[in-house]
Amino acid sequence: MSHRLLSLACHGYAIAAILYLGYLIRQWRLFAIGGRLLVGGCLVLHAVALGGELAGQGGMPVGLAQGLSAVAFLLLAIFFVLDLRFRIPVMGAFITPAAVAVLLPALLISGREPIPSTFRRPLLPVHITIALAGVAAFAVAAGVAVMYLLMERQMKGKRFGLLFSRLPSLTFLDQLNKQLVLWGFVALSVTLITGAFFSSSSAGLFWRWEPKEIATVVAWIVFAVLLNARFFAGWRGRRVAVLTMAGFCVLLVSFFSSYDPSRQLGVFR
Amino acid sequence: MDLLCVGVSHKTAPLDVREKLALGPDQIAEALQRVSGAAEAMVLSTCNRVEFYAVASSPQNVRDSLRSLVASLGGVGSLDHLYEHDGDSALVHLFRVAASLDSMVLGEAQILGQVKDALELAQQRGSAGPELIRACAAAFASAKRVRSETEIGRAAVSMASAAVELATKVFGGLEGRAALLVGAGEMAELAAKHLQKARACPILVSNRTRARAEELATVIAGQVRDFEDLDGSLNVADLVVCSTASPVYIFTKERVAPLLKVRRFRPLFMVDLAVPRNIAPDLGHLDGVYAYDVDDIQKIIADNSNARAIEAAKAESIIAEEIARFVRVRSVRDSVPVLAQLRARAEQIARAEAERTLLGLGDTISEKQRRSVQAMALAIINKLLHEPTARLREQGGDPGPSRLADAAAELFGLQPGGGQAAPKDTGTPPDVSAVAQRGRQR
Repeated sequence: MSHRLLSLACHGYAIAAILYLGYLIRQWRLFAIGGRLLVGGCLVLHAVALGGELAGQGGMPVGLAQGLSAVAFLLLAIFFVLDLRFRIPVMGAFITPAAVAVLLPALLISGREPIPSTFRRPLLPVHITIALAGVAAFAVAAGVAVMYLLMERQMKGKRFGLLFSRLPSLTFLDQLNKQLVLWGFVALSVTLITGAFFSSSSAGLFWRWEPKEIATVVAWIVFAVLLNARFFAGWRGRRVAVLTMAGFCVLLVSFFSSYDPSRQLGVFR
Repeated sequence: MDLLCVGVSHKTAPLDVREKLALGPDQIAEALQRVSGAAEAMVLSTCNRVEFYAVASSPQNVRDSLRSLVASLGGVGSLDHLYEHDGDSALVHLFRVAASLDSMVLGEAQILGQVKDALELAQQRGSAGPELIRACAAAFASAKRVRSETEIGRAAVSMASAAVELATKVFGGLEGRAALLVGAGEMAELAAKHLQKARACPILVSNRTRARAEELATVIAGQVRDFEDLDGSLNVADLVVCSTASPVYIFTKERVAPLLKVRRFRPLFMVDLAVPRNIAPDLGHLDGVYAYDVDDIQKIIADNSNARAIEAAKAESIIAEEIARFVRVRSVRDSVPVLAQLRARAEQIARAEAERTLLGLGDTISEKQRRSVQAMALAIINKLLHEPTARLREQGGDPGPSRLADAAAELFGLQPGGGQAAPKDTGTPPDVSAVAQRGRQR
């Protein structure tokens, strides 16, 4: 049932992605409204599907499939809220295809494994949910950074083409990036603290030199440097966009190294 | 009654002819009195066109009167630049003018207000009647549809407005953004007006001749900055508009680069409207600096003009739809007086014949029977007229080549148009593109 709902939501997102791309090209308002309604509706389906799966696991997403599904959900939920708040349907052309790309593998990975008893701790669902929310926030920030760089390329190159007329202003994109990175950084910091706490209580060590730990700390440092440069040295625009993308790439390493590729389901190491 | 339009525009007459014919409100009132033979009249006078609209039963006489009026205002030579439209062609012209499809800057918003003013003046002078008011109201409605359903008026097509539009791509809104005008000439003043409209604030003016900067600052409620302290001004400004006659670059990479850190890397938008250029071309390579020259702005204007031309095609089809609707409604309206007369005539006959019959019968029938006879007479004509009434109404709303209303008027000896002269239109919507083409050729 959950799988069928998830599949339905994925199809809906794919149609929304086509609508948003259509909006990017033709700017027909109907496309934007259709995309918005579809994403909103499919988020409900997705929430029901995900909720059904997580209910039996103490609210904790386990394995790569559920991790990807949760990231896709949070990614689209953030976009949906931003679109409602700022009316930026053009962003849908960047976010929805990415979300479909994230969700597709989640659909293809099937099967279910029992959760190891060592993982049944009350703090873990909080740790994982916040970590995934952070990944989603940084993913949207990276999408915004791509939009910024594309827009700046048009402005600097004096090519006043399709993207130039469609994308929001550079200042708006820069401010949005600032907010998203700030929230993502808070989530990432909480993830690191709760992760260290969980690690020490289960394995007796705060730090075990695992790839996911190293990658997460490196990503945290990149974003800490970025925020410092932004707030104290006045950095903005292009440099910040590039750093956001770099930080997100490191975070992706952290995300995928959290899962065991040798097992079909990819439960937590 | 026919609508007639005689006039000159930027498409047919050079400026020296148009300025001779241009009329102020008082002169318009006087001109309206001089139009003889017209039931209704209106004068539209803008910097790009002077047009006389009239509604008349014999357009030829009014046309001659308007031609002599034009000749007396602008000389006989101005008649060579005159265009004339009558009937549906005049209607199409009015709709296109109001929707800014005939304007020098396609899609500019001012013209609609100017046509409204022209009608208001004509109404105040008592020269605008129901025909003109109805035609203008329909033209205004279609112009509004064109504005809301197409993007004809959206893209900027002047140097100053295109520069402001480009700046919004960096900053979003310009509200509260500091703008620096370097140079205080005509171009700076024009840019200042657009910046004011976009609510940029404060507007700083810096000019080599301080007196001129002060003059401009007074006009635009700006602040004067020392020309010698351009670096200081640059630290404050978000946007810079250069339009000086300086033969050398005022802003170079070497001058601006050290200022960026002081500005805490706030984006700096610079537009150079001067030839020779005031801003070095490599300045735009600096991070966070967006610099554009006249050619870049021209490129935007050309793109926008193309975009407007594409939108104009959509607008033409909206106009065609609206005119078809107007003609349909007018046809229905025209057929109503014939119907009313036909029915009144028939009822009059029915009542008279019933009365005569009742007189012959004398007191042999009761009051109830008397009323039945009268009702029967009216029922007969109602039955008889039901089909023709339905057909007339149906055909009134249906654009077609024949006019049943005229035929009915002829057949029953009625006065078409309710006592007015018969309308000459056929009920067929006119070919808008053909009229537009004719307008362009003239």
